[in-house]
Amino acid sequence: MAWIAKNSAGTQIERREQPYLTDELKAKFEAEVLPRYPTRLAATLPVLHELQHRYHYIPYQAIEEAAAFLGVAPAQVLDTASFYEEFWLEPKGKYLIMVCQSLSCELLGHGSLLEKIKSKLGIAPGQTTPDGRFTLMTAECLGSCGTAPCALVNETLYENISVDNFDRVLDSLQ
Amino acid sequence: MTPEELRHKAAEERTAQKRYKHCLNVCMAAGCMSSGADQVKEALTSVVRRYGMEEEVPVRAVGCMGLCSAGPLVSVEPKGVLYQEVKAEDASDIVTSVNDVPVKRIHCPTDTPFFTRQKKIVLENCGKVDPERLEDYIAADGYEALLKVLTEMKPAEVVQQVTISGLRGRGGAGFPTGLKWGTVSKAGTGQKYVICNADEGDPGAFMDRAVLESDPHRVLEGMAVAGYAVGADRGYIYIRAEYPLAIKRLRLAIRQATRAGLLGNQIFGTTFNFNIELRLGAGAFVCGEETALIASIEGRRGLPRPRPPFPANYGLFGRPTLINNVETLANIPTIIRNGGAWFASIGTEKSKGTKVFALAGRVQNTGLIEVPMGVTLREIIFDIGGGIPEGKKFKAVQTGGPSGGCIPEQHLDMPVDYESLMQVGSIMGSGGMIVMDETSNMVDVARFFMEFCMTESCGKCVPCRVGTYQMHELLDRIHRGQGTPTDLELLKELCDVVKNTSLCGLGQTSPNPVLSTLRYFEHEYQELIAAANQAHAATPAGEVTR
Repeated sequence: MAWIAKNSAGTQIERREQPYLTDELKAKFEAEVLPRYPTRLAATLPVLHELQHRYHYIPYQAIEEAAAFLGVAPAQVLDTASFYEEFWLEPKGKYLIMVCQSLSCELLGHGSLLEKIKSKLGIAPGQTTPDGRFTLMTAECLGSCGTAPCALVNETLYENISVDNFDRVLDSLQ
Repeated sequence: MTPEELRHKAAEERTAQKRYKHCLNVCMAAGCMSSGADQVKEALTSVVRRYGMEEEVPVRAVGCMGLCSAGPLVSVEPKGVLYQEVKAEDASDIVTSVNDVPVKRIHCPTDTPFFTRQKKIVLENCGKVDPERLEDYIAADGYEALLKVLTEMKPAEVVQQVTISGLRGRGGAGFPTGLKWGTVSKAGTGQKYVICNADEGDPGAFMDRAVLESDPHRVLEGMAVAGYAVGADRGYIYIRAEYPLAIKRLRLAIRQATRAGLLGNQIFGTTFNFNIELRLGAGAFVCGEETALIASIEGRRGLPRPRPPFPANYGLFGRPTLINNVETLANIPTIIRNGGAWFASIGTEKSKGTKVFALAGRVQNTGLIEVPMGVTLREIIFDIGGGIPEGKKFKAVQTGGPSGGCIPEQHLDMPVDYESLMQVGSIMGSGGMIVMDETSNMVDVARFFMEFCMTESCGKCVPCRVGTYQMHELLDRIHRGQGTPTDLELLKELCDVVKNTSLCGLGQTSPNPVLSTLRYFEHEYQELIAAANQAHAATPAGEVTR
């Protein structure tokens, strides 16, 4: 639920010397993204996507850097980033498993699939395994209702999943 | 690219295609891909090479063939032989039999209603062209419509053709497309934008995904035609981040079209410029609502705002903006090529043309279909869909996702059009159809959709934020067998409030699944409540059941 306020009081921002938003990235945005919009603010989502793509999540320091780059307050970028479910403000696993929880999948066995993944990995949706390999999430319709149940692992879509064959998929991801 | 070059390219490509005796088309849409279509394609390619048949029998990757439940699919053209559930091991049998009778073991008959009852406009190229090759699209009359409008028609004439066609918005609400285009084109001069709404998020809907994965150039062409008609030189496609394959193919298509001069500046040597930018969502369903989508492109939270002003007058960055759904835009090239009157001759009096549906749930043939407006639900589910599997009984079909409703058996003979669906308490929606059999509990279905709306509510307005939460609580309580008759009364009252006072479509339509299940299946609610009361009465005094 996007509207639930996230408690950020007293958040410690972990800092590092090296910027996340490197000069090379900035130059890329200046050349390829910003000319396509009349405002700098409009580049917020593309910038956040790129940061997440590079670092697998969006650290707070990166949000500050993005805000400075876009000429807005850090709070405004955080406001936008925290609204969208798929922007990760905490580190996530190497493999992000998104199990579709839509109606067709529910009718065709999403429940037992999710239970199996939960017990195998020992995590609930929203959590990451201690070794940092897997993050589990439930997702709204992935648009594969004709071949339900389905799940997305990073950018690969698996369909017609059975508990057994997905077990093998998980084993193969190292 | 000049007009001559386009025509030359099309002719050249067609000749090249005719040179081949046969062609093996492998479906490479997400459905078939996940069941191993790429291995099949590889196997076919190597077998063809082994027999030295590359000059005769090319192996091509094509888009969605529709019958997703039987993938991976391979078709042998031009004979039109279709193979289903193909494995890499079948490759050599397929290749050696191209001149012979089809391989029986994997042969999929195409004279069944699933294939013969469909009429394809939006999907005409799906399963026929390689979505990653611009030349394929050009050979299938691609970009002819853009050439025609730029060289032969005035913008007002384009709007007029779209108006004559009677095309209505395929995103769900069914607003007349011509009227929308007309409004934007008249909304002053200066910067205007075209947005393609590809934020398909309704549970049960995958039409837009399939179109974008199978025929991306069609959508780009539709957008460029729209840009010319309304006077916009910039377009944005807002697509869900959950569709990685569609994103990849769209990116490639935009690059190809730009390189070929079919997008960009001075297209076909005219003064018309049009550039398209791809924008990724990040998992917010509400961004499918047009004003929320605009906020998201502008770099803010995806919150809707009250209308008016409508985006047609005050949209992206405060400029007049045309927002159309993927399927709506995908209809445009064909409408321009064949004329509005041709399109208007298909369908019913008020709903013209065809509609793509995503058939899913408890039905034999799941997949993507396109039928003329006005066919009955029974034809879709029982003829095309092949009925309910495992000898179970049909109970209801859910159309329109979380904004739609469940339609029971007694209305199956009703023609599918915008008005009829509305009359029975559902909506056309974007085209998702989830079939349910006797084992489904309708309270559970209503609860499912309410949970969806609750989670996806952006929280801006109180009726939706609090209302969906409370309605979900009530439904959950009834479903768990702990509901009281008062809960049901409260639920009905809340439906009314949320429907009438929410800010945007998400909230306004969120009670629909409850209202429609109450309308046709109230006894299921009553039974759960009666059972709860009996259990309650049997509990000794002093014990708390809740």
